[in-house]
Amino acid sequence: MSWTLVKEVADREIRTRARTKSFRVITGILVAAAIIGPIVSALWPNSGDDLRQVTVGLVDVDETTRQQIVAFAEGNLDLTFQDYTGVPPAEVDQALSDGDIDVALDTGPTLVWDRETDFEIAGVIYTALQQQEVLVRGRVLGLGEGDIAQLLTPLQVEERFADELRESDGVVEGVAFLGLMLALNIPILFGQLTMMSVVEEKSTRVIEVLLGHIRPRTLLLGKVLGLGALGAGQLLVVVGGLTAALLLTSALDIPASVWRFMPILVVSTLGALAVYNTLFALLGSLVSRQEDASQVIVPVFIPILGGFLAANGALVGDAESALAKVLTLVPLTAPMLLPVRVARDAIAPWEIALSLGLLVVGVLVLIRIAGRVYEFTLLHTGSRVGWDQLLRLSRGAALD
Amino acid sequence: MEGLRVEGLHKQFGDIVALRGVDLEVPRRQMVGFLGPNGAGKTTTMRGILGLVAMDAGSVTWDGSAITDEDRHHIGYMPQERGLYPGMKVHEHIAYIGRLAGLDRETADRRANDWAERVGLSERGNDPIQELSTGNQQRVQLAVALVHEPELMILDEPFAGLDPVAVSTLSDVMAEQVERGASVVFSSHQLDLVQDLAEHVTIVAGGETQATGTVTELRNRSTHRRLEIQWAGPVPTWSPPDGEAQDAPPGVSRFVVPAESDAAALIAQASSAGTLAAVSYEPPDLAAVFLELVGS
Repeated sequence: MSWTLVKEVADREIRTRARTKSFRVITGILVAAAIIGPIVSALWPNSGDDLRQVTVGLVDVDETTRQQIVAFAEGNLDLTFQDYTGVPPAEVDQALSDGDIDVALDTGPTLVWDRETDFEIAGVIYTALQQQEVLVRGRVLGLGEGDIAQLLTPLQVEERFADELRESDGVVEGVAFLGLMLALNIPILFGQLTMMSVVEEKSTRVIEVLLGHIRPRTLLLGKVLGLGALGAGQLLVVVGGLTAALLLTSALDIPASVWRFMPILVVSTLGALAVYNTLFALLGSLVSRQEDASQVIVPVFIPILGGFLAANGALVGDAESALAKVLTLVPLTAPMLLPVRVARDAIAPWEIALSLGLLVVGVLVLIRIAGRVYEFTLLHTGSRVGWDQLLRLSRGAALD
Repeated sequence: MEGLRVEGLHKQFGDIVALRGVDLEVPRRQMVGFLGPNGAGKTTTMRGILGLVAMDAGSVTWDGSAITDEDRHHIGYMPQERGLYPGMKVHEHIAYIGRLAGLDRETADRRANDWAERVGLSERGNDPIQELSTGNQQRVQLAVALVHEPELMILDEPFAGLDPVAVSTLSDVMAEQVERGASVVFSSHQLDLVQDLAEHVTIVAGGETQATGTVTELRNRSTHRRLEIQWAGPVPTWSPPDGEAQDAPPGVSRFVVPAESDAAALIAQASSAGTLAAVSYEPPDLAAVFLELVGS
């Protein structure tokens, strides 16, 4: 095996595919989405600016009370006031019916609703009025301002969740789902590019010229590594862009499991690229024309879709089910299950090690089998190589 | 022997026996024509030499030793069905194949420039292959086969589809390569070209070598001779005893006669039948020899 020739083939694949408009557009879109997402999220009006707007009609209510209500609504409601002082009650009722105001407050104090109480608005106004009243009564009783302020100091109530992960589950699921989509789509995209490259060399007959200088296994390895490197580059750029944007904008509070998940996602997607690029190359060598590729592509989507569905199940459901555990150890499905289970913190370290080890072994075995098949199928023209012939070739038998 | 020697190649694809004993010699610094009807086994033999197809039996040696992958780096191959990356640029394509053949980047680039110029494509170096005409694509194919200055050139139907200018260019390049010290073996159905270019010819049919030798040897080995007489006066009704009359222009008679015929006696008989202006008596051309060997 000449590594110089492997590098030559890999270089050509990278330069040829990276130059295509479609690749540049897709990469640009992915990177832009990864960077712009957190930035937009950070710049988007936060929850304080996104408050519910409420209009309160005030009938002869003094300014102090109004300011007290505003103070208590802060962070909860976006209040607007309309002065209805001197307006007949019937007109105030009409304003409520017409929706011009959500509630009216008079000096009673009385809260006037259109049909039913809005407890969120009522809570804010009651509390403000209550505090106002405490202030007045405190002064009447001769309490100093400091005593009154101490009386009015709000009680700090903390919250906690029985499931510690629940608080960050949304972020974990979001990032893990994004990772799963990358682990699913990058191998499909680059696998298909590998297949197109193989079929192009067969259909244009340039394969005969190449094989005059280079062995089929060398060509296969160069192709798999070249397009794998391109896929890995795209993955790293996207993940890097996402990570940088998250760190710079502090758009989200990232749980620790997400940071553990990132390197596993990268490693398992590299494994997926190696596995699926090899499989797609092998299947591409069975046909002689691009239009025949659809005849052989179906079998490779069975483990891809099976792995995706199982990983999705592990993401939203039981990440430690027997199915998830088994498929984590199968090289064809591990790249999708492994990162999801790591993100969910539902996998033992020995399982990660075993899964990655089996993935490496699987890649080596697959490359060996594909190389054997490749030697016989590359110069085959006309009708596609049948599945029975493929089975014989993969066992090491010669093809007539 | 120095050069390429192929002995007893056998290859069977399923029930079809493609080769049943092909022998071929391509000595160094010689140009050899490799002839045969369609399906005779020429392409399979060439692929066998290149290691593209594993042979069931037989041997391929270079300078007396079994051919190796390293030896194959010194072979330039132009396949029958042209093979180029459509989207790759001319210069880039030639240089890429040069690097696969073992050239370093700088040498490959320089040779790509030289060969693009030699085949008349120096102005098109940055054009994608798919934007070239078929003839120009074939020029690129030739440059790709020669960029690494191979010791052995294997050209499968190199003249197919070429216009006369391109045929002349290719013929010159092939002759230059032999002059440089390379060995060239090429197949072609244009037997007049083969007769002009090749020193040696090997003819295969039915997967077997039928004949091999210099063009003159093969012609002399024919069981027939061509007798052509140009008459000074009216054309007489005379014909040789075992001769077969052929179509001929006015005032000329043409016959195919057995090789063992006595030429002097035939000419004497003819001169008694009419007035001779000119006479030629020679072996048939390569095309006729080919047809004799492989059947019409």
